[in-house]
Amino acid sequence: MSEPLPVVLLVDDEKHILSALSRSLRREGYEILTAGSADEALQLLSERQVDLIVSDQKMPGTHGIAFLTEVERGGSRVPRILLTGWPEEIPQPEIARAGITALLPKPWDDAELKSTLRSCLAR
Amino acid sequence: MNAASGVTVHLLIAEPFQEGPAATSTSDALRRLGPAVQLELHHEVRVAAAALRGRHADLAVLDCRLGDDLWSLLQRAGEGATPAIVVGEAGDEAFALRAFRAGAAACVARGPALADELSIAAREQLQWIRRIKASVPPDGSKENVDNVSRYSRHVIENMNSAVLVIDRDAMVSYANPTAERVLGAGPGELTRRDIRDWFPGAAPGDVLPLQTLENGTCFRGVETVLTRADGTLIPTGISCAPLVDAKGIREGAVAIFQDLTEIKQLQRQVLQTEKMASIGQLAAGVAHEINNPMGFIHANLSQLTEYLDDFQKVWAHVEGLRNASGREVLDGQEVREAASALDATIQAVDANFLMRDFGTAIRESLEGSERIRAIVTDLRAFSHQDTAERALCDVNRALDSTAHIVWTMMKHSVVLTKQYAELAPVVCFPMQLKQVFMNLLVNAYQAIEERAALEELRGEIRLRTELQGEEVLITVSDNGAGMPKSTLDRIFDPFFTTKEVGVGTGLGLSTSFNLIRNHGGTLRVESEPGRGTSFEVRLPLGDADELL
Repeated sequence: MSEPLPVVLLVDDEKHILSALSRSLRREGYEILTAGSADEALQLLSERQVDLIVSDQKMPGTHGIAFLTEVERGGSRVPRILLTGWPEEIPQPEIARAGITALLPKPWDDAELKSTLRSCLAR
Repeated sequence: MNAASGVTVHLLIAEPFQEGPAATSTSDALRRLGPAVQLELHHEVRVAAAALRGRHADLAVLDCRLGDDLWSLLQRAGEGATPAIVVGEAGDEAFALRAFRAGAAACVARGPALADELSIAAREQLQWIRRIKASVPPDGSKENVDNVSRYSRHVIENMNSAVLVIDRDAMVSYANPTAERVLGAGPGELTRRDIRDWFPGAAPGDVLPLQTLENGTCFRGVETVLTRADGTLIPTGISCAPLVDAKGIREGAVAIFQDLTEIKQLQRQVLQTEKMASIGQLAAGVAHEINNPMGFIHANLSQLTEYLDDFQKVWAHVEGLRNASGREVLDGQEVREAASALDATIQAVDANFLMRDFGTAIRESLEGSERIRAIVTDLRAFSHQDTAERALCDVNRALDSTAHIVWTMMKHSVVLTKQYAELAPVVCFPMQLKQVFMNLLVNAYQAIEERAALEELRGEIRLRTELQGEEVLITVSDNGAGMPKSTLDRIFDPFFTTKEVGVGTGLGLSTSFNLIRNHGGTLRVESEPGRGTSFEVRLPLGDADELL
């Protein structure tokens, strides 16, 4: 029996972003789950084990940083990536509090996206 | 200044207590004024305020390091008619402007020349105080009458306002040196000239001193344009009053005016600063909105490039199969091999998926580019009529296009409701109006964010327009944090802000207030803490014929 694929959870309120991210990661050998909001993502996390979270920052309701902080508070060790158009605007202490492994700019570069995910999963 | 004038003046200094050599610089500078100047140094704001209330000081020197206490002391000094010199930080023009507006007699900058500047400013003020003190209340004696008239002449000749006196025939009978300087005339050149010479192209009714002469009408601080001797035009603020003789008969008029050129320039700068701040906020909102579609279009394009590589691999095998099957003598083995190579590649690249997803990626990208196109269209609608000229403007459209743009940054947390009435077009500066709308919308949004940080909130901004007689009424209300009365009282003051450093310039609402007032309209606010705020703009329709 083959190794189960690493499970990657993508969170963004923009469904075309979810679609484009999934497209970019298609050949990377992951099982991809998607969620359209922080609430939906938290629901999914309560049901499934995931290996990596990639979340957008600016979303209606709970923002990415608050969502990831909540994940951190729940005691999760899952590596997590925050996707944001304005990485420099997020204060360092908040990044630490949310246990963020890496920041990715939006728009992202495909090669950078793939290598960041790989290195986060290898940790 | 020397002590020989025999009058002692009393000077009050308020500055925070500081250790080290810099601490004494203000009082040291003032000690140079000589023994006839009594110094009273206060480090305690409360005590300084009490001293000012006692009104025994002739002049106050207030240090900007007192922070906000400075403004209350300045107000206290004004209430007691005590002139005040304010010490500000070098280069802080905004502070100086605010100090002058709050009634400071002079403002000097801290720096290496502080001692010199301060003693010059204090000397100037003290000269006047000495003269006032020296002129005993007139008791009718010749000496005293002479004293008073010499004193009055001195005041008029040295004051920083221009004074023109005209006789019954509207000829200038007296001009003080400041009037000559402001109008660019040599000494004595203004007298015996017709007052109308200085009012460019004005209809007789617009020459204010003439109206005063004819009807006895008084004017206070009316803005008007005067012509200098060299033909250039200068903005001035003018006040006029009739001159009556002992029997109460009008024998002329006096006009007092100030050159407003510098103030106008400052106002323009303030307006520009505020406009740039609004544009900054606008740019941030638009950038956010364009960034998402750019993100997936960009990713899709690089993915489509990979799909194309895969299709090219398939195509190479299609070519191979065509070659094999197109030979004159068919080699069955060769054709079968080419076909199975093609099949294997189709499987390997998952060509069926690629075919489907190619279309999906293109469709999604087109949707994204359509969204960017719509944003650009909004921006174009917003910048429509970006002109310094007055124009006829559809207020509903101006409000709507502004709301649409600002909307991009707030749509995640705010519901926008609109209730537009059918309106007549308004004569206005459309871009200024949009700047005011943008300010009100951004303020509403920030108030909602402020309240939402404390409690669960469905943010709501309501836009409403109405036609009321000859006026258009525009209301922008929110259910944000609201404001206490103490904030409401100061909300239109320049530089007043409750926002964090770097968030607000403190100029938004004061600029909005002035822009609306320049349109002959009013800007009013009602607010309740914890419930929300409502801004109400009233604009007169104006006379469209003026545009012709």
